[in-house]
Amino acid sequence: MAQTKVVCEINGSVWKIQIKEGDAVSEDDTLAILESMKMEIPVLAPASGTIGKILVAEGDSVAEGQDLMVINE
Amino acid sequence: MAHDEMIAELAQRKEKALAMGGPEKLAKRKAEGHLNARERLEALLDKDSWIESGLFATSHRPEVRDKTPGDGKIGGFGKVAGRPVAVVSNDFTTMGASSSVVNGKKIRHIREVATRSGMPLIMLGESTGARMPDRMGAEGRAILGQDPIEYLRSRESPWASALLGACYGSSTWYGCLSDFVVMRKGATMAVASGRVTSAAIRQEIDSEELGGWKMHAEHSGLVDAIVDTDEEALLSIKKWLSYLPSHQNEAPPAYDVPEGSQGRGQQILEILPDTPNKVYDVRKIIDLVVDKDSRFELKPRYGKSICTSLARIDGKSVGVVANNPMFKGGAIDVDAMKKATAFIVQCDSFNIPLLFMVDTPGFLIGLEGERRAAPGKIMNWMNALSLVTVPKISLIMRKSYGQAYLNMGGGRNSDEVLAWPTADLGFMAANVGASVLSGVDKDPEKYAKMAKDLSRDTAVWGLAQLYEAHTVIDPRDTRETLIRLFEIHRNRHGSGVGKHRLAVWPTTY
Repeated sequence: MAQTKVVCEINGSVWKIQIKEGDAVSEDDTLAILESMKMEIPVLAPASGTIGKILVAEGDSVAEGQDLMVINE
Repeated sequence: MAHDEMIAELAQRKEKALAMGGPEKLAKRKAEGHLNARERLEALLDKDSWIESGLFATSHRPEVRDKTPGDGKIGGFGKVAGRPVAVVSNDFTTMGASSSVVNGKKIRHIREVATRSGMPLIMLGESTGARMPDRMGAEGRAILGQDPIEYLRSRESPWASALLGACYGSSTWYGCLSDFVVMRKGATMAVASGRVTSAAIRQEIDSEELGGWKMHAEHSGLVDAIVDTDEEALLSIKKWLSYLPSHQNEAPPAYDVPEGSQGRGQQILEILPDTPNKVYDVRKIIDLVVDKDSRFELKPRYGKSICTSLARIDGKSVGVVANNPMFKGGAIDVDAMKKATAFIVQCDSFNIPLLFMVDTPGFLIGLEGERRAAPGKIMNWMNALSLVTVPKISLIMRKSYGQAYLNMGGGRNSDEVLAWPTADLGFMAANVGASVLSGVDKDPEKYAKMAKDLSRDTAVWGLAQLYEAHTVIDPRDTRETLIRLFEIHRNRHGSGVGKHRLAVWPTTY
């Protein structure tokens, strides 16, 4: 089974996580919302599949390039 | 009688050449679900428009003459949507379409005719690279790759490449010299194959990781469109060509305006968020401004905080450079900078007016950007913008901050600067400015005062009063305003043909 990492695209903090482990998602679904540069920036699913491990929690500071969660395709 | 014999020989030689690498190899390819080099020509070109050049060419080496019909690269001329084009279709079943002395002559001829006669050049790529043993040793050096303008690109006419299999050597080089590159999933493009690379660096390399579609669509940015099948790749080339003139000395073709293109302005207000901290997908707004269903996005998976699309307004081609707040809040990273510059160069070279749609908090600053030469990329972009001679219109939708204000056509960098009443102009966020001026939060009192002073009025009216925005418009009137203004600015060169000062700029950045 292929795994796709959901990688953080920008420095900021995790404001909301909108899915939980085991949820089925489609490519481009909103998985979480980050707060950065005073904006609410969505994290979109890079691929369709099932959410595996979620590696961050709401309120966490995150950096560009950091893995946020894993999608099992 | 003598004539009959000669004509029979012609027919027999023709049949042999058309058989390409033989039934077995062709059947194997069919079973894999891919078109062969001649089927690709059929799918690409208008019916019965093909005229071949070099059908009887073969390798110059006597021992493989019989095994090299067309010498592995099929060349000629045809038509797409009634307009002439020049094509090279690589026949992988013939010695892996490897580059040889004779097929190099063929490519050169097709390329020269395309340039002289003002036709797009289309390369259907799939090739293994330089032919062995032709290329080996000093003699190989002396007879292959001896064309000093083989890699000269000066954009007299548009070039498109399809990557439709293993692409190494010439398919890779022509892909990178092209204005438009489409890749079929499963194809690969790299300097050398995974096998050669593995042997050279003594490390197991997976070809897909080395040069597969994801790598090029998301990381290298060398590919403009990704498709699932050969047929879709050829359709994609036809679609791209529909926005382009046949050569640099004419305006792009005009089309009828599709029904339902007008009167959609109200929907813009429904998409545009009413608070500045909310984001939206700018593509939904572009779609309402340009002719219905006319938008063709390039590099959609690369540098996503800038969206580059060819489209039509009032039936005529435009190139749209738009910030997309949906990704990185619209902050422009290095990939987005490279993508914007390449797109500006392409549009200016082929007489396609530019529309900038602005909503950006500025360039994405940080260690990663500086390591990747962000300041140089920003200046490349500015230099390109300064050399553009096609009409440029900039529309400030929301934020326009920092140096990015100029890169997105602000100041005197466009022929017209329009703004919506939602425009928000500034240099940097007030709290950031206050931190800088007060010594990074060390003195809270000083910081608070600074922040207050710096939160100056960033509304659009200051820009309009000083006539830096030429006008402020109701978002619902955007399309109609753009139709009128492009009509006015297209007049400058009479025929809508620019000066192409960027025509010799690189095809990749």
